[in-house]
Amino acid sequence: MRALQADGWSRLTHVARAWPTIQQIAFSGMVAYRAEMIIWVLSATLPLVMLSLWNSAASGGPVGGYDQVDFARYFAVNLIVRQLTGSWIVWELNWNIRKGELSPRLLRPMHPLVFNLCETLAALPFRAGILFPLVGALAAWRPELLFMPSGEALAAFSLSLLLSFVLAWLIQAIFGMLAFWFDQSMGFWSAWFALWSLAAGYFVPLDLFPEGWVDFFRCLPFYATLGAPIDILLGRSAVGANLAFQAGWTLVAGGLATAMWRAGIRRYGAVGA
Amino acid sequence: MIEVAGLCKTYRVPVRTPGLGGAFRSLFSREVKEVHAVSDLHFRIAAGERVGFLGPNGAGKTTTLKMLSGLLYPTSGTLKVGGFVPQERHPSFLQQITLVMGQKQQLLWDLPAIESFELNRAMYGVELAEFRRTLDELVAMLRAEPLLQKPVRNLSLGERMKCELIAALVHRPSVLFLDEPTIGLDVEMQVQVRQFIAEHNRSTGATVLLTSHYMQDIAALTPRLLIIDQGRLRYDGDLEALSREVAPERRVVIRSMVPQLLPLGFLPQGDGMVATVPAGETNALIQRTLAVAPLVELGVEVPPLEEIIGRVFREGRPRSEA
Amino acid sequence: MSRKLGAFRLEVVAALVRVSLLTAMQYRASFLAEFVVGLLSAFGVAVPLFLVYARVPVIAGWNLDGALLVTGFFLLYNAFVAGLVEPNLGAVVDGVRSGELDYLLVRPVDAQLVISMRKVAPAAVWELFAGLGVVGVALSRVGVPGPGPVFVAVVLFVAGLVATYGLWLLVICTSFWFVRVDNLRYLLGAITDAGRWPVSVYGRGLRLILTTVIPVALVSSYPAMALLERLDTDLAFGAVATALASLALSRWVLFRALRNYASASS
Repeated sequence: MRALQADGWSRLTHVARAWPTIQQIAFSGMVAYRAEMIIWVLSATLPLVMLSLWNSAASGGPVGGYDQVDFARYFAVNLIVRQLTGSWIVWELNWNIRKGELSPRLLRPMHPLVFNLCETLAALPFRAGILFPLVGALAAWRPELLFMPSGEALAAFSLSLLLSFVLAWLIQAIFGMLAFWFDQSMGFWSAWFALWSLAAGYFVPLDLFPEGWVDFFRCLPFYATLGAPIDILLGRSAVGANLAFQAGWTLVAGGLATAMWRAGIRRYGAVGA
Repeated sequence: MIEVAGLCKTYRVPVRTPGLGGAFRSLFSREVKEVHAVSDLHFRIAAGERVGFLGPNGAGKTTTLKMLSGLLYPTSGTLKVGGFVPQERHPSFLQQITLVMGQKQQLLWDLPAIESFELNRAMYGVELAEFRRTLDELVAMLRAEPLLQKPVRNLSLGERMKCELIAALVHRPSVLFLDEPTIGLDVEMQVQVRQFIAEHNRSTGATVLLTSHYMQDIAALTPRLLIIDQGRLRYDGDLEALSREVAPERRVVIRSMVPQLLPLGFLPQGDGMVATVPAGETNALIQRTLAVAPLVELGVEVPPLEEIIGRVFREGRPRSEA
Repeated sequence: MSRKLGAFRLEVVAALVRVSLLTAMQYRASFLAEFVVGLLSAFGVAVPLFLVYARVPVIAGWNLDGALLVTGFFLLYNAFVAGLVEPNLGAVVDGVRSGELDYLLVRPVDAQLVISMRKVAPAAVWELFAGLGVVGVALSRVGVPGPGPVFVAVVLFVAGLVATYGLWLLVICTSFWFVRVDNLRYLLGAITDAGRWPVSVYGRGLRLILTTVIPVALVSSYPAMALLERLDTDLAFGAVATALASLALSRWVLFRALRNYASASS
């Protein structure tokens, strides 16, 4: 909490100094397990399972404005965005809070959430390293999938991706912090994830939902973490509206996370974990 | 009951170099190092004996215990426990033994301990009436009655250890392997656990092999001592013989300062004085002391067990006299 | 022991089931929360199906009713995995770390039995209901076939469950050899997710994998095809053979793994 407050300039430089070390340790921790790397590459297949269904459906002609190539592009970008915006903080926070392992982290001169953010960022090159061969293989196999987005689209996509990353991380942190109050808080996350799979455009492009639902889903935080950047890159939805909703939800989630952390830490201290 | 000959255990451990470069390198080739956890161990334990297995961390105590209970395959050498080869894990063998690890737990975390006992009863196929009798006995000996209905997660460490012991003994094993059963317990609880083990051994005649690095466990519980260091047996025999052998001197301590005694070899220490002499000359020294200062209050001390063991490790000579 | 081995084992199974149910009941609140999750994930499987069939009547030879049948069987399979397989075999990996496995192995009972029966996740019952519901709805729309096809479907489904259990066990055994690859089970979960659609939506290679190596089609598409009477009965025999082979292989590997565990751990 302290690191997030206004007097945080010295804290920030502190983070900056610790940064390379945290990065290196987190990164080599991941690299050290080669078997896991392969597993990681292969575990990200759910969008591809979804793709198979839509691909089959579109074999006779476009479905809802998507032909087979569109579907393949959609789910490929889906895979990339999901990998680049992923984190583990909900599991880590939940574990650390319930097992009392948050205490040693609270003693460090770095805010536990900031530390986790560092770790999450450190995982990015690793995640990108997994994506690289995957996307390469896809491009070699189906070269017609490659497309060159315009400069503006790319710029808007980058911004949108950044917002998705922060928002997804904040939402995970919020659900992780529920462990301050509930013994079995992972159930909430599972419920959220199940909703998210449908409403974020993870299983199905939102365009394929019935008319009224599409606009409704586009306003929700689910879509802001995944569908928004995909649709921006593929030119399928209004850039400005998507970015505005993303920014708005990020602010809301940031405020909620800060408030929850304050209240949660007080409770954690009171229970004496 | 237990026969061990030429027992060796070698682990192959991957070596990881720290840092990013090391992590990358280990992606492609893993160096492997051989660790000799136990080398060339020989000993025999008769039925009903209580034996203490002593050594510093990493000496190979737990490894040996795990081999004896059939959890680990020896790299070489022969092992027999109650006529069985442990690693074959024959049901009749498993029926005879039990293993308690002070650092690990077998009780079901979320349930009252009684449920864990029930489960073990089923797994060991103990008759209900016999189970009740055994349980009553154990519970009475450990004064564990109020603990049985509480979820294990709500028990204190010491209370949990009592229940662990009960769970480990409901099938009336004839060989007990206890790996640091008193670790982390407070002094009072340590005493209770020790008393229980001794009592259980007396009443059932079960063989007890216990590791610990609390010297009091050994001193109070196990007449016979196996000292192991770096996988090798350093000593096998009883505690008194060991202290005669390794620490043949005694300390004669006087509580007050009596300058006339200085010529007899006493040196000032704190408020009093102390003289160190070979064990055989203790009596002579006491007589001479009393002749000079008849009213002095004096005592004879054997060097503390820690010190004796420490000397065995330092001198590092393998000895056996059992 | 003077008792018969059979009676001995039944007693152990009963005790294990009792303990696992008692443990699960410690978390009643989460049991209800899981109801919502189970409902939502059933939704997650069904909604894309309705969306796609709203636009295309037949996909890869399957209409909506047939595809619903597949989905229903897939939910039943999921309930089996989430309720029994995952909690138990997942706990093996933790047991290696915590030493719990050591305690299991010094018991005079069959290691595979204890490893596979200790835990149950009762929340999976919601998914079970969802699966039964979907199968029921689909059957009411296509009409219930005679006893023959139903029997074949049940045989196929059970054989598929056994075969996938074997596969899960194989995956878990790898955790004895490699550190930290318990994540393999997430991979297996991800791959078996492919069972949620009729197997013919996949390419040829993938289809072959899903019926043989990772036989998840055996629990979803094939029982559905049997009920729709679009399947050779011979296949049922093949499926049973696959199941038995998978079970035997996994048991063999488990005991190799335990031996390896015994010679490698400290």
